[in-house]
Order: sequence, then structure tokens, then C-alpha cells
Amino acid sequence: MSPKTKDNRTAIARLKGILIGKPIETHLDAHHRLKKRVALPVFASDAISSTAYATEEILIVFLTMAAIGLAAFDNLVPIAIMVVILLAIVVNSYRQTINAYPHGGGSYIVAKDNLGKYPSLVSGSAMLVDYILTVAVSVSGGVAAIVSAFNDLAPYRVWLCVAFIALITFANLRGIRESGALFAPPTYLYIISLAALILVGLYRVYFQDLGPISHTGEVERELLEGQKALTLFYFLKAFSSGAVALTGIEAIADGVPAFEKPEPKNANRTLIMMAVILGTSFFGLSVLAKHLEPLKDHEGRIKDTVLAQLAEQVYGGRNIFFFVTQFATFGILILAANTAYADFPRLSSVIAKDSFLPRQFTNRGDRLVFSNGVIFLGIAASGLVIAFGGIVNALIPLYAVGVFTGFTISQTGMLVRLLRLKEKQWPIKAFFTGVGAFTTFAVAMAVVIVKFTDGAWIPAVVIPSMILFFTSVNRHYVRVKQFLAVADQVVPPFRTHFVVVLVGSVNAGVVQAVKYAQSLRPDRLMALSVVGSDAEGAELDRVWRQSFADVELITPIDDFRNLTDKVLEEVERLDGLQPDDLITVVIPEFVTSIRSQWLHNQSALAIKARLLFRPNTVVTSVPIVIP
Amino acid sequence: MGLRNLLGRSAQTKEDLVSERLCAKFGDMNMVSLATMPIRQRVDVCGEIRRMTVKPRAGVPAVEIEISDGTGELTIIFSGRERIPGVGHNRGLTVSGVAHMEGSRRVMLNPLYRLLPKPGQ
Repeated sequence: MSPKTKDNRTAIARLKGILIGKPIETHLDAHHRLKKRVALPVFASDAISSTAYATEEILIVFLTMAAIGLAAFDNLVPIAIMVVILLAIVVNSYRQTINAYPHGGGSYIVAKDNLGKYPSLVSGSAMLVDYILTVAVSVSGGVAAIVSAFNDLAPYRVWLCVAFIALITFANLRGIRESGALFAPPTYLYIISLAALILVGLYRVYFQDLGPISHTGEVERELLEGQKALTLFYFLKAFSSGAVALTGIEAIADGVPAFEKPEPKNANRTLIMMAVILGTSFFGLSVLAKHLEPLKDHEGRIKDTVLAQLAEQVYGGRNIFFFVTQFATFGILILAANTAYADFPRLSSVIAKDSFLPRQFTNRGDRLVFSNGVIFLGIAASGLVIAFGGIVNALIPLYAVGVFTGFTISQTGMLVRLLRLKEKQWPIKAFFTGVGAFTTFAVAMAVVIVKFTDGAWIPAVVIPSMILFFTSVNRHYVRVKQFLAVADQVVPPFRTHFVVVLVGSVNAGVVQAVKYAQSLRPDRLMALSVVGSDAEGAELDRVWRQSFADVELITPIDDFRNLTDKVLEEVERLDGLQPDDLITVVIPEFVTSIRSQWLHNQSALAIKARLLFRPNTVVTSVPIVIP
Repeated sequence: MGLRNLLGRSAQTKEDLVSERLCAKFGDMNMVSLATMPIRQRVDVCGEIRRMTVKPRAGVPAVEIEISDGTGELTIIFSGRERIPGVGHNRGLTVSGVAHMEGSRRVMLNPLYRLLPKPGQ
């Protein structure tokens, strides 16, 4: 049995140990490879999960914004076909990215390699925003599925979302990323229940004459009574809403190294499988919705999701099949959020490694995950959910812009790469990539234009300001790096060394501090005590000479009862005496327990804080531990 | 003008306030000001003690004081003494002696000195 050491961690460290789990040694970071059947749920949950809300988003545009009433259901299938074509184009170009970047080719990396700094930053910020939105949208969607099943929970929608985000955040701090055992069941359950819903639904529609859902409520009738004609603007708007079905398909291209060998081939097969599942289920759902005519508004007055309404109608009520569908939806949406938890920290660490984000994002925590990225993502997503009241629809326009910006830049980068390298069959590949780049660009522009007032302006503001932030962080790091570069001829920055011991009164702490200061062997050692009156100064002087006959004591008079200012003034004056000096300020400090520490050293703290920003000044605390 | 004056006064630093007070105190004594004081000549100056230092110089105790008249500072060293009665913080005095430079400081060794009365005496 291994010997036990005494556990002298603090209470906080113990709590962290319970919540996060035991720390893992760095060298145990085994990167296990994923089989295709496991990789599919790991990477595809995000993409496939978007079928849970994409149809609904299209309907919302038609019913509430365009107010075209029943005509909405006739236009659903054309839009679905367009989205499926778009999906085919994007997937086709991503296949080439996978082949070209077997070590993982997120759009940031592709853009950095082929397009340069600013495009890579655009895609980096777009993707970061996107991952935050993935969490917010997926969790809101998952909670919407739960709320549809249990309508009583509707008032707690936002807090349910926040609670699930917190849960996923903690789970990820423990490091459950890419663990297939956890991912596989809900994803396959969702795929199966979706397939069952579509097949049973279509069977009942075509062979059992299942009619549309009967709508009786006030809100529903209002929505159905819309009589306006469909304009191109709203058609594009609906299309761009439906295009959110494509979110998450970049995950496979990002994570190629996680596949079994040969990685590109397996990744490509998984990509195709995912695209087929995504395309057919989205198309199937749209056809089903056309026949069953579920309703949805953008303010959440209709509590049930479209999927829930379809399930209720197809299975003839709220029976076991209905609840299974709802839970499967909930499960896959939570997993989709989890995908972002794998991607966001990874991308932010890559960007931070390039010095465009604070270095803290590259730190790995106890469980070998990029903890700061995980925590940041959790906080940002919770903030979004609270700000938007947990209504998915409000977040969708934000989402689509980022996704398609990322796609466009990634495809353009691939196009540039193909034109540069001219590998075999490059004209065909370049053609497909070019089509992909153009299409995704067109969609991105369409989304920005038609949804500008609905919130698509937010990424148009957020992304440039993030780039400004990236570049200013980078400028700072570059400046610091240049400043700290060691020149060939090392010139020591100082020659004389003054040591100043700050003294309040003569006590054991001061004795220790003076002893320490003497051990530094300075060129000049002095004690500094700011006195309030002459009598105080004379008394200190008398006591001082009994203890330290050979140490100089300077007693400036304090004019304005401000110790910190006076000490700073004195240090300034000493610094002026020599042009090339270093000043060490030694502060005796009492260390007691955490409960009573605040009773001590408040002025020392202020002095330390002020001296921190002074050049050529070292501040040293000599602790006297009082048990 | 009143407002600007007020702003001007409140924007003064603490050092400005102190030197203003010292200038008012010593200005009408008609002595050489510390800012324009010549080096290596016998000179009569005055000021208030702002800082006291007790330090051993070559094993011999010495009292080192710094006086200021609001225009500049002067270091005065009385060697061989540990304490001089009456010489303490905020005390005004006039000194008569020869100053030399030590680094960037003006230092006067063992000058003649005369204590000025404390305020209220």
C-alpha cells in the first residue's frame, strides 16, 4: 500500500478536488483514437442536433414575420431542398480540407496558413462567438424540449438553462471531452427516434390519412390567418434561418487527429455519414411538418417545440414515444453544447499561443483541459442565455452569421491553397471549393442583410471589436517580447544597490527585516520611518540606537498624515541620488491566520501596490509568522 | 478669476503646499535662498528641518539633518554628536558655513547654527 502523506490542502482545494476530480499527471495525456461509430456521435452531435430547431426557425419566419399563414407549409419543402443542396456543397469542400489538413484544419488554421493574419482573426473570432452561441442555442433548445414535455417548467426556463450550462462546465472541467461512451447512446437514440418519427409520421400521413394538427388557441388562429404574399426578402430570411442546420459540420474537419488511422479517410467517411443523416432527417422533418402543420411563434407564446408537436400528433398523444423523442432531443442538444466545450478551449488556446488572446487560455488545469477556456465559455454562454431569456430564436441570427463567415473563410483559404500548390486534379477541386466559398459567402451576406435588424448586426459589431482586442493583445505581447529580448552584450541595468527597510517601531519583525537587509550586502542600508511629530521621532531615535547602533535611520516628518505618499516621495528622492541604482524596499510583515490577517499590514499593502509600478524598485516582504 | 484661482489652488501638490508655507515663513528673513546658494563660500542660510538621520560616519556618530526654505534643500552634518538639544523636526534654524557637493546634494559640515524660536514661543 502506498504511504499516505498528510493532507494539508486548504478547504477550497479540497472542494475543488471533489468537484473537479483528482489531478492528472501531465505525461498521462494519452490521446486516444476514436472508431468511426464512436466518432460519429462525438463530432456529429452538434450538426445533427440542429435538426431539432432548424425547421422550427423556418416556420417562425414564415408565420410571424412574413405572416403568410398556411402558405408557410408549402414553402417549407423548397427551403429544405435548398438547405440540403447547401449542405452538400459545404460538405464536399470540407472533404478536401480534411485531406489537406490531417492534423486538424479549423478555419482559423486554414486561414492562417493561406490567407494571412486578418482573415484568420476574422474566422477565429467568428468561430469563438459561434461556439459560445452553440452552447447557448443548444442548451436553450434542450431545455425547450424539456419544457415542451413538462409545460409546468416554463417559468424556470432561464434558470434551467443556466443550471445545465453550469453542469456541462463542471463536467468539462473534469475532462469528459471526447468520451465516446457518454456521447454515443444519446446521439444514436436521437437519430433512431428522429428516424422513427419521420417514418411513422410519413406512413400515417400517406397511408392512414393523418391530417394536420388541430389548432384551437387564440395565438394559433392569429398565426394561421396571415394572408400576406411571400416576398423574396422573407424567403431569404427563412432560408438563412434554415441554414443553421449546417452549424457544427466543421467539427469533423477540426478534429481529424482524433480518428483512427488512416485519419483522413475515416474522417471523410464519418463526414459523409453525418451529412446523409443530417440531410435526410432535416428534409424528412420538413416534409412531415408540411403535412402536419405545426405552429410556432417567436415570443414563446406557443410553448411546445415543433418537434414536440409533430411527435404528439404522429404518436397520437403524449405517450411513451413522445417522451422518448423529447428526452432524446434534450440529450443530443446537451451533447451539442458539449461539442463546443471541446472546440472553444482548443481554438482559444491555439489563438492564445499565437499571442492574440491572453496567455491564460493556454493553461491546462488539473484534469488536462484548458480550464480557463472552459470557464470563460460557461460564463459567456450563461450571460447570453440570461440576456435573451432562454429563447432560442433570438439567438439564431447571431449564430448563422458566425457559422457562414467561418465556412467562407475556410473555403477561401482552401481555394488559395489549391491554386498555390496545384496538386493533382486541382482544377476540379478548386471548382468545388470555389463554388463552396461563393455559396457560403452569399449565404453569409444574405443572413447579414435580411436579418440585420433582428440581431445579425451584433456579430457585425462583435467580430470587428474582437479583432481589435486580438490585435491590441498581440501588440502588447510583441512589445513586451521586444523589450525583454536579451541583447548580445548584456548591460546590467544597475550598479549601486540601496536597501530601505520600512520601520514603524522597533520590534522583532523589524529586527528580522534589518538582518535580512544586511544579508543583501547593499551599498547603502537605511531604515526609513515616517514620524508624525518631533517627539515621536526623538523617541524612535533613542530606541533605534539601542538596537542598531550601526544602521542609519532616516526620519522624515509627515506633513499630511499620508504614509504611502511620503514613503513614495522618499524612495523617489533616494532614487534621484544615483543615476544607476536599484532600490530594494524591505517591508516587515506580520503573517497571522486567514481570519485575522486583515488586521495587519493594510498600509504595507498600499505601499506595495504603489511601488509595484515603479521602475528599478524591488519590494520584499519579510514575514514574521505569528501562529 | 475666482474659480480659476480655486482650481489652481486645489490642483497644487502637497509639496507645493509645503514649499509655499516655507517660503512665507523664511522669505522675509532676507537671507540667501537655498536655491541660489553659492558653493564653497561662507554663506548664511535658513530653513526648517524636514528630515533627521542618525548615522554612524566612520564609526563616529553623526546627526544629519535636512533643511528646506521652500526653494531648495540643504544637508547639514554635525559630526561627533548623537543628539543636539533643540534640533528636531519642524524646527527653524539659521546656519552659517561653507557647503560642498556630495553627489547631487549640497552638504554643510558643522556650521554655526542658531535655533529660531518655535511658533508660539
